[in-house]
Amino acid sequence: MTYHFGRGWARFIPYLLLLPGVIFYLVIALLPSLATSLYSFTDATGLQGAPMHWLGLENYKEFLFMGQASKDNLDALGRTLVFCFFVTTIQFALGLLAAVVLNQRLRGTNVFRTLYFMPVILGAVIQGLIWSLFLFPLGGPMARFLDLFGMRSEFLGGQPSEAFAWVIVVQIWANMGTTMIIFLSGLQTIPSDLYEAAKIDGASSWQAFTNVTWPLLTPSVNTNLTLNIIGSLQAWQLFLVLIGYRNGTQVLGYLIYATGFGQTSGSVTSSFRQGYAAAASIILFLLVLVIGMTVQFILRRREARILG
Amino acid sequence: MNKIKLSAMTALVAAGMVLSACGAPAAAPTAAPAATKAPEAAKAPEATKAPEATKAPAAAKTTLKVLVHQNPPMVAFMEAFNKKFTEKNPNITVDMSVVNANDLSTVSQTRLTANDVDVIDMFGFANQAQPYMKKVDAPNWQQLIEAGLLMDLSDQPFVKNYDAATIKDAGSYNGKVYEINLGRVSYSGIYYNKDMFAANNVKVPTTWQELVTACETFKKAKIACMTAGGKDGWPIFVGAYGLLGALYPDQAALVEGLWTGKITWNDAKAIEMWTKMQIYARDMMEAGASGIAGDAAPGRFASGAVAMFPGGTWYGPAIDEAKPSFKWGYIPFPGSDKADDNKYLFGKYDQGWVVAAKSPNKDAAMKYLTEFSAPDNYQAFANAVGFIPTQPTAKLNTGIGAEVAPYLANFRVGYEQYYVGPKGAGQFANPWASYFKPFGTYDDPKTLADKVQADLKSGLDAVK
Repeated sequence: MTYHFGRGWARFIPYLLLLPGVIFYLVIALLPSLATSLYSFTDATGLQGAPMHWLGLENYKEFLFMGQASKDNLDALGRTLVFCFFVTTIQFALGLLAAVVLNQRLRGTNVFRTLYFMPVILGAVIQGLIWSLFLFPLGGPMARFLDLFGMRSEFLGGQPSEAFAWVIVVQIWANMGTTMIIFLSGLQTIPSDLYEAAKIDGASSWQAFTNVTWPLLTPSVNTNLTLNIIGSLQAWQLFLVLIGYRNGTQVLGYLIYATGFGQTSGSVTSSFRQGYAAAASIILFLLVLVIGMTVQFILRRREARILG
Repeated sequence: MNKIKLSAMTALVAAGMVLSACGAPAAAPTAAPAATKAPEAAKAPEATKAPEATKAPAAAKTTLKVLVHQNPPMVAFMEAFNKKFTEKNPNITVDMSVVNANDLSTVSQTRLTANDVDVIDMFGFANQAQPYMKKVDAPNWQQLIEAGLLMDLSDQPFVKNYDAATIKDAGSYNGKVYEINLGRVSYSGIYYNKDMFAANNVKVPTTWQELVTACETFKKAKIACMTAGGKDGWPIFVGAYGLLGALYPDQAALVEGLWTGKITWNDAKAIEMWTKMQIYARDMMEAGASGIAGDAAPGRFASGAVAMFPGGTWYGPAIDEAKPSFKWGYIPFPGSDKADDNKYLFGKYDQGWVVAAKSPNKDAAMKYLTEFSAPDNYQAFANAVGFIPTQPTAKLNTGIGAEVAPYLANFRVGYEQYYVGPKGAGQFANPWASYFKPFGTYDDPKTLADKVQADLKSGLDAVK
């Protein structure tokens, strides 16, 4: 047997080197997650020193089965899936299109790559501010555009379905750069001689894309789909920044935040309900887990079929 | 050729993305909703007692962390006060943070838990569970006291500067004082533009019908009737709380009636309220109000773009600041067709001071509150923010003070200070005008009334 770090105690060096990372992961990620699952069975408020009582499954029952509020929660769950579907599909398609276009030898591609990627680095608050200005209903650019056709809208403060659609647009705008960069890196790993061979064989551009590019992009496709799905299922910051807590617009991630920090009733004295919010978080986690695992299973099978 | 097309397309898409960053002036978040009600119930743990305020300056260098909510005139006053305070107490530096009113409770919670704050601006205590309410959670201020995070201020000399009823109603729990409340505000009134009313021969409305007529007159003159800071959410409907008050003057009884089923949101009286709320949202409020930030709304009103501005008394100083020469008045929202029903102002106890029980800077915190509570400083504060004072010696000598003075005898604590929703109630179980188009989805008062009542009843049934 070969020991890369030598024999004796030196064999443990790799583990010692891994230890800080493992401890960091345990403290920052795993332990809080486990604590959240425990809190979900209590009436925790999130306040240091506050009494905490074991409630069993009460929080879950309340979330899933108690009155109209539970139906509203399930609506938020459904809205989360709708958000995920539209964000994932549109962001994926636009990211791929942008990557393919910017992978050509065009003038100024680096400028365009930077422009498309720029929203990613702005952060949710700045992204929200930019779009609040753009959609300002009293004379903002979009309001002026609609005015040309004799139309007007409240945009983010109007019909919940319209406000929701705008958050989808902003989420895509904000994250498409990441999708594009992953696809670009995938495209640049495809050897150019494959395209030359396809060209010699008489393949059209579309045939080259479907038979060379698409199959060889499989790892990037998998990465992007996974990131887009998980990211959109967990989204909440843009909802907070763009529309706040409004009926008919909440997704599960934002509902959890608003419940945990007492922002659901419109009253500034709303209770802190982090136990209940933790139960909602676990439900969201299970949703992400089931969808994530299913998608991973399908994608891995596809990858194995295509790339062997 | 293809490359040229591709370049052109890419440029177009990129230009679109860049253009989305351009826009009209918007604004930031704003001020207040909040609380009332004298609590009495469960047992709070022994909170740390505040030390006696000392008169000598603190020996060691201290940084006092203060948290307040966004209310421009108040923030401006606090900055000036802090400067004066640090000049008088050179060993103390004040580090003041400002957050949106909607985020104040969240930030207070996290900073108290992290032991990262000394003095906090907290709205007056309200929304405590009443005997007829079932399975409701304690309000956040009570949770903070029960967690031992707020300091007992009962023995502090500066508490005596405030009137006893306010201390009891808005800052006490289980017989101990945890907050000194700094003022009452009304949120059920309407600001009106005096010159615009005169120029259009419009009488200041005292009944609902007169208000409708006034708005129609302004509309004919191509002047928007009302505006509100709808971007913050609650300002779009808070003005209509006056409409609610005109029809249900005893708001504590209203909340009890809703819980016990004696009052419903879809009976004949409520349908009248919803019908008027629809007119308020659809015909009176200016289109686009949902995009105006709370602290930008006073400026829009002062600019003369609209005739009226339903909102809280705390906006008075901001209107003056936006345009000192602007002539405005403030009246109770005339929600009823009988003028006598429209003489009430509804409101709440607004901002108060609490101290972190675990504050390492207790002496500095007590010194800060002692200095703030000195009659001269408090009077300057009340003048700056337009609060109805809670120090008996303070005078109501502001513009907004003069406007509300005739109605002070009819000041009542508002519905939102009493209401606690039953668990399981749906998201529409509130009397909010913003459910109507163009801000919401409803365009029929009866349909909305039935939905609101169904959402409330669902919760009441669930907690039976």
